[in-house]
Amino acid sequence: MHPSLSFDQAPPISVPYRFFLVAPWFGVMAGILLAWSGGDALVSRWTPEALALTHLIAVGFMLQAMCGAVFQFIPVAVGGNVWRPTLVANIVQPLLLLAALLLVAGLLFTRPGLLSAAAPLFLLATGGFVAVVALALWQTPATGMTLWAMRMAIGGLAVTVVLGALLAEALALGLSVPIVELADIHLAWGLAGWALMLLAGVSYYVVPMFQLTRPYPLWFTRWFGPLLLLLLLAWSSRLLLEDPRWSLAIALSLLALLSAYAGMTLWLQYTRRRKVHDATSVGFRIANLSVLAFAISGAGFLLYPELAADPRFAVWLGVLAFAGVFVSAITGMMYKIVPFLNWLHLQRLGAPLSAVPNMNKMIPVEAMTGQLRLHVLAVSLLLAAVWLPGLTRLAGAALAVSFAWMGWNLAGAVRRYQSFKDQIRAAGLHH
Amino acid sequence: MTTVIDGREMQPPEPMERTLEALDALAEGDDLLLLLYCQPHPLFNILRQNGYAWSDELRADGTREIRIHKL
Repeated sequence: MHPSLSFDQAPPISVPYRFFLVAPWFGVMAGILLAWSGGDALVSRWTPEALALTHLIAVGFMLQAMCGAVFQFIPVAVGGNVWRPTLVANIVQPLLLLAALLLVAGLLFTRPGLLSAAAPLFLLATGGFVAVVALALWQTPATGMTLWAMRMAIGGLAVTVVLGALLAEALALGLSVPIVELADIHLAWGLAGWALMLLAGVSYYVVPMFQLTRPYPLWFTRWFGPLLLLLLLAWSSRLLLEDPRWSLAIALSLLALLSAYAGMTLWLQYTRRRKVHDATSVGFRIANLSVLAFAISGAGFLLYPELAADPRFAVWLGVLAFAGVFVSAITGMMYKIVPFLNWLHLQRLGAPLSAVPNMNKMIPVEAMTGQLRLHVLAVSLLLAAVWLPGLTRLAGAALAVSFAWMGWNLAGAVRRYQSFKDQIRAAGLHH
Repeated sequence: MTTVIDGREMQPPEPMERTLEALDALAEGDDLLLLLYCQPHPLFNILRQNGYAWSDELRADGTREIRIHKL
């Protein structure tokens, strides 16, 4: 590229990659656990297997992938500088990994000691992460709603982890706290306050940029995040206010707001001028259709108490949210971030533009779309297995193979980065 | 003279590649107008470190007009 230009100081490529390379293998563990436990795992959201599965996806796959993406996204999208990213990532990533394994083992085998050990590790790891990320997000001179959504999302992560740690200690020590209500609030902050808020902030930036849509309307981006935050605070007040009509009104408003985000994103994709059907667009479409399915099922669950009486209905919602929405969206994002980072870091070696391979060469297109198709099959089987327990083992196997394929694709991209880097260096094209 | 790059319907990294190429050819006193739907912070960092100045204006339709010239 341009020998005369020097490049920015984005974090070393190893910072996001150490998170991305680990994340899919938690999904593989979730699939194996499901295949191994069989039909009883999904009869209720409270079985040890269901709690372990949820957390393998939430703090294993999602949290690892999202933390890695945030490290990278802050300098690229909002021009912020994370304090000593390599050092922070080297501490936070293994701590999160250990905490997730302890938590999952504690939930699965009902071991209070493991739950008690996991809680402070989570507080330490996410506390450090939240502190450096919040500092970067408040110091950047950038403006815009992506930045505000990320600030709110980081707050959402802090609330989720504090409530999660409290729940883990309450279970371990037998504290008398309202477990079910606290778990519902923890879940809402984790899924909506952290994960969806971050996804929305990232969407404002990457959907127009990579999927070539029009931008999200300004009125939408100005209102979506603050309203979501307000509704989550109102939802949390159910601890104090025991009015079922209030809870119902808040929950229905939350579902309407989620549908607005999904509907807007699908509308932007549908009306774009240049059609792009890459893995990222497909991943986002599956995610947003799952948001709509979640909102419709959730409304049914709230309005028809006879549906809510069946504990499998909550599991159905969980499958839609975790596997349908977030695994799909995160997979689609990683399939864009990783090739882009490979390209960006190869550029930084200073070779001529023509010497840096095209982004499409980083992960084979068929491997990404094939893996996403298998993921859709796995989600469909999981949804079916909620009602037909005979399918549970098959759904678990499909989930494990799908995540392993994702892990293989990402590892392949890292290998290709290394070999392209060696080629550029060997050709003496860098400076 | 102003060179215009409309990156709104290009997939990244094409707008950045075209901008870097155009900067190489940019004569003293000329400027480069880049149209995008986002703020390209990696590009801003490169500009900052290489002696370019830029202004960034948001149009009502969400387009960002990024005007670049050599300091």
